[in-house]
Amino acid sequence: MTVTEPVKQSTQAGKKKVAIVGLPNTGKSLIYNHLTGDYTLVANYMLTTVEPKRGKCQIHGCHMEVIDTPGLHCLSGHSTEGLSIRDLIFTEQPDVIVQCIDANQLKQSLTLTVDLLELGIPMVISLNAIDETARRGIWIDSTTLSHTFGIPVIETIATQGRGIAELKKAIASPRIPVPPLRYPDAIEQAVSDLQGLGALPTVHSRKIALLLAIRDSFVEQHVARVASPEDIERIKNRVDDLHLQFRGNVATAIASVRSRWVDEVADGVVKRQKVRSGEFAKTFGHLCRHPIFGIPILFLILATTYFLVVRVAGAMEDFLNGYIANPCVRWVSAITPRGFWRDLLAGPDYGLLTLGLFNALCTVLPILFVFFLILGALEDIGYIPSLCVLTKRVFDKIGLNGNAIMSVVLGFGCKTMATLSTAGLPRREKLIAVYLIAAYVPCSAQMGLSMGILGRYSFWALLATYGTIFLMAVFAGLLLNRILPDTGTGVLVQELPAIRWPSPRAVIVKTCYRLYWFLREAVPIFLGAALVLFLAQWTGLLDTLKAALRPLVVTWLGMPLDMVDALILCIARHEAAAGLLIRMSDAGKLNVAQCGLAVLLTTVFIPCLANIVAMCKRVGLKTGLLMTVAISLSAFVLVGMFHWILVFYGAWTT
Amino acid sequence: MNVGQDEYLEALWCLREQEKDTLADLQTALDDPLDHDILASLAAVGMAVFNRETGTVTLSAQGLDHARALVRKHRLAERLLHDVLGLRNQRFESEACTFEHLVAPNVVDGICTLLGHPRECPHGLPIPEGPCCTRNEHTVQSAVAHLSEFELGESGRIAYLNCRDDSLLHRLNGLQIKPGAKIKVHQKYPAWVVECEGGMIAIDPRIADSICLWRQQTPPPPEHEIGPQETEKSAKWRFWRP
Repeated sequence: MTVTEPVKQSTQAGKKKVAIVGLPNTGKSLIYNHLTGDYTLVANYMLTTVEPKRGKCQIHGCHMEVIDTPGLHCLSGHSTEGLSIRDLIFTEQPDVIVQCIDANQLKQSLTLTVDLLELGIPMVISLNAIDETARRGIWIDSTTLSHTFGIPVIETIATQGRGIAELKKAIASPRIPVPPLRYPDAIEQAVSDLQGLGALPTVHSRKIALLLAIRDSFVEQHVARVASPEDIERIKNRVDDLHLQFRGNVATAIASVRSRWVDEVADGVVKRQKVRSGEFAKTFGHLCRHPIFGIPILFLILATTYFLVVRVAGAMEDFLNGYIANPCVRWVSAITPRGFWRDLLAGPDYGLLTLGLFNALCTVLPILFVFFLILGALEDIGYIPSLCVLTKRVFDKIGLNGNAIMSVVLGFGCKTMATLSTAGLPRREKLIAVYLIAAYVPCSAQMGLSMGILGRYSFWALLATYGTIFLMAVFAGLLLNRILPDTGTGVLVQELPAIRWPSPRAVIVKTCYRLYWFLREAVPIFLGAALVLFLAQWTGLLDTLKAALRPLVVTWLGMPLDMVDALILCIARHEAAAGLLIRMSDAGKLNVAQCGLAVLLTTVFIPCLANIVAMCKRVGLKTGLLMTVAISLSAFVLVGMFHWILVFYGAWTT
Repeated sequence: MNVGQDEYLEALWCLREQEKDTLADLQTALDDPLDHDILASLAAVGMAVFNRETGTVTLSAQGLDHARALVRKHRLAERLLHDVLGLRNQRFESEACTFEHLVAPNVVDGICTLLGHPRECPHGLPIPEGPCCTRNEHTVQSAVAHLSEFELGESGRIAYLNCRDDSLLHRLNGLQIKPGAKIKVHQKYPAWVVECEGGMIAIDPRIADSICLWRQQTPPPPEHEIGPQETEKSAKWRFWRP
């Protein structure tokens, strides 16, 4: 059907660029990890990758730059999603495109395949999750598929790294596809006329002409950057002509030609045999989203997590402290002379070892280890997106709908990523979502550590604290929903990944990477913060500050004065503050109510630096900073209010 | 059958109702002069029986069936135009004449059910009963329904999307929610969860309103199905599926 030619090996200076693109949740990041030996976070749901990520790899002696991209549905269209990746394709012009296709959902991917084939860039298709397809009784004829497109189609199982060698080989010698589709004559004529004007960029000119024909605003801007005003005028006239001549809607006509082609191709290569397997997984998926049964499942998961964090992490903590931290600190105290150096290294309050290193390694790390393990398993199962369905009622009330729900839900993993994933939302929803994520959604580390802290008292302390945070979030959402001008909301359209058994290896690898990143980023900050506190203490600055803050902290918030240390650590890193809270509660400086309020305060107090940067990126510098200030101030106001409510009802004992 | 023949068959049906059967009666029933060619052609195809000796013309069994259907269409059309669309005077009659030549039998039954199986036309003449009247159907099984009217586990093929928003349409298209695609309902609350081309998709109830589908009865499981058949137990446990 199609004739293809091998691409001449480009021996030009500069690395070849390989862009990995595909629909959300088709295993792009896994392929990226395998190709580069690098690691980016992967999970069994969409929006795991929100910004393009670049890495290097060497294939058959040829250096390549590999770019992992966020999910993309199609090149055309008026949606804001995938803007960055479209920009990347049109302006950077990758040398090879690797399209990841989830073999279970071939048809969905083929629409994007048409778009990519029309670009005329050498391409390779990675047909992923072929093992799951086989289990479902679906068989895909990849050879025919490869013949139809005129490009290599490689079957892979990205989770296990199968087929990566073949994929590398194919990337080394890709082929230029021949555009598979012919549109109605009037459109084809207009496209060749537009190409003939000589005003379009030479690369992807057919695709650009096609997108111009449907008046795609992104491509219009792209062309406007390179073409002269007269050319733009001529292009505009030709497109207007086409729309006048053409009976019916041009975009619809193009879409229907494609849609027919996709159906034909898919029906030709997919053979189905009905298999009754995966029924359990499907049923579990149903139950997780069920309006009644979903809630006990959620609580069961939370309770299990709580139990494991408190018991298992607690035991690990005791072990590490008993056998490593305490002997070390004692030994250091013994060999250093009394005074500045001993206090600096092993001082009970602000020592580099006590508050810095061992706080990170022996107190925070075990809790994060257990929590990340559970989170990783839940991510691998594909549980998280079902929360979108489960929580829709609440989100409806606070004016969030559509993709905003998924963004907020992602905040329970990492707030920074969640904030970045709000890129495609309408302005109003973006503001609400970004604010709620930054202020009231506890990220995985915060949640794990809160469990660790409040688990020292009781499960009910945790429940009360998180219930309060939830109420605060709903209240803030209602308020924002009220005061922000109503510009109409988006609607929920969300793919739900197929529930599958977690792969222990993937979960462990992910947990290890998360811990590694934590250690790499946080330990220096822990040490730095301890040093700053120590020096402030040594110079007497800290006492002055504490004296100044006494009315706020002691009178208004009802906390011990040492809470000032936690707040300072909180600015540096939330985990450091949590570590300090654990030490304070172990030392008996906090009672249960104070501890609950302390957790509340550190959760809703200033967002972490990465989150603030992400906020400014998404809602603008001014609004981002304004939000940060609002969040921090409201934290003091609200926590103080709760303190006085407790005092008023006589539930506060010091 | 052409339009002229249809007119004659209808006229003969009316005569039969009045228990008349002569050519002279037929002449008065028709507005135009009697066309013997049409009568001969009707006799030739076995629709009418023409008796030269007595000067009578009657419908054969086949002719009766055909005429009944025609008259039913005509009189139902009159009711529809008269009662529902509010046409008065002579206009609804002429419109009904055009109508009867266009409408397919199953659509006629749909109209009959919609009107509540009327017995008489606006002129007071009896409307011949159809199969829907004997079954006394209460609802019209409309060909196209909104997704929001679907029940759990029901499936249908998408007819069209009532969607003004281009970007949303693109997004739905990308997920294969497009005309011709098959959709199965898995959950209705708090959001709709549907299965489409192997993928599960959660959608807003508002979108469920804008997707129009042809209903499809779930086909019985194919013979060559591998693995255990659906057991009693799993059928019983269905109740907790939302």
